[in-house]
Amino acid sequence: MCKMAALGAWGSAVAPARLSRVARALWAWRARRCLGQDAGAADGGKAAKPSFADEAVQNLLYKMTGLNLQKVFRPVKKELKPPKYKLMTEAQLDEATRKAIEEAKEKLIMPPVLNEREPIDDVLAEDKFLEGTESTKYVFTDLTHSIPHRERFIVVREPNGVLRKATWEERDRMIQIFFPKEGRRVIPPVIFKDEHLVTVFQQNRHEDILNMCIAQFEPDSPDYIRVHHQTYDDIEKHAKYDLLRSTRHFGGMVWYLVNKKKTDGLLIDMIHRDLLDDTTSLITLYHMVHPECQSAKEAKEEKLQGVDLIKVFVKTESQKEGYIQLALQAYEEAMATSTAS
Amino acid sequence: ALFAGSRLLKSYRGGHVVIRFALGGCANRPFFRIVAAHSRRARDGKYLEQLGCLDPLPNAHGERVAGLNLERLRHWLGCGAQLSRPAEKLLGRPGVGVRERGGGGGRLAAAHRRHLLAGLAGFLPLHPMTVTGAERLRRRRRAQEAAADGSPGPGEAP
Repeated sequence: MCKMAALGAWGSAVAPARLSRVARALWAWRARRCLGQDAGAADGGKAAKPSFADEAVQNLLYKMTGLNLQKVFRPVKKELKPPKYKLMTEAQLDEATRKAIEEAKEKLIMPPVLNEREPIDDVLAEDKFLEGTESTKYVFTDLTHSIPHRERFIVVREPNGVLRKATWEERDRMIQIFFPKEGRRVIPPVIFKDEHLVTVFQQNRHEDILNMCIAQFEPDSPDYIRVHHQTYDDIEKHAKYDLLRSTRHFGGMVWYLVNKKKTDGLLIDMIHRDLLDDTTSLITLYHMVHPECQSAKEAKEEKLQGVDLIKVFVKTESQKEGYIQLALQAYEEAMATSTAS
Repeated sequence: ALFAGSRLLKSYRGGHVVIRFALGGCANRPFFRIVAAHSRRARDGKYLEQLGCLDPLPNAHGERVAGLNLERLRHWLGCGAQLSRPAEKLLGRPGVGVRERGGGGGRLAAAHRRHLLAGLAGFLPLHPMTVTGAERLRRRRRAQEAAADGSPGPGEAP
């Protein structure tokens, strides 16, 4: 129970401002790495698979995320202060709304989606004669202030005399001990274990657990990826897409679903809520990521738009064809009656 | 070095900068701070700079955590600081052996460094007493095992 309370108090309040900075720092790191890799790769652009960080992909995902100001700025559990009322003219109100939209855009910056990191096992020295002198291992951390955490030296001297580089988990723990970050614990909380995630999902607190996950783990750690994938799978199983709409996790979820080709539930949800633009952007994204599928080729030949695109996609790619056709029919009838009346 | 004699600034005759362990913590719970200080100062007294820490008791994961500010350590070693005996055991022996393999308890290979300082031999090799201590421990253990095997041996035989 106390963990559930901690979820609400922690994640949403502390996370966004600092994490946008973290996200941008991580973005910069990833951009630097990827630039090096792309320069090395022979082919680029359309031939290579589009990644999460491409501009076109990001634009599509951002459009689909939506901008519900009420939800983005919904009250977060902070200390109680009486509300402040301001008297404004129309012009001032427009100005305030514009500033609010800019701040909301900053809050909606998507956290990076990276591949799982390779485990480190690098032995620096083997001194066999040290075996048996000590009973426990030593972990040495370099505390020089100006090095980025990724390049810090953290080595372990085992009791058998081997001097090796520390594993990723040891690294994260040591860095958190000596350079503590807000919202992160030295030992990851128990709530990230699979049996407890089930409870979280039953309470519909997907957004909170994702915020906590971003605060606790690095984006390329296996725990981060596991928690995110489980959250997305649960949302897709119960069609709770609206929980993440207008948050910064929506883009990541759509990217995951498109890569796994499980977009049907999302399509139906969008059509039910009359978000046709979002459906077209979703299908465009799908074609960008899987250019070899049949509907992509047809769409490119005939340059379809709008409802036709959806129909072609539904015929070729989807598993729940019947449901989507029904939803489309209902939508068209609703459109017809509204235009008629 | 002679300081100006004043109430605030303690002046010593002689002495040099050492990098040593300052003991802190509570009863039955030691904690060392790796510190650069004048040799004539009290062990836990005023120091020039803290260069790291060492927790001698193993934590929940069975490891003894130590942090070392290598950049400042190199600075003080460059200023001519000495190392105390336990600090030497942990870090290694500077200036001895130019290209010996094996960094001391925590010292890292020159190839991994980002900026090399001219004058330091790259990495600190292991203190010879560490090797000697390990050898002595092994010999003592072997002697103990031989004694333990020897005494029940003739006791079992009729």
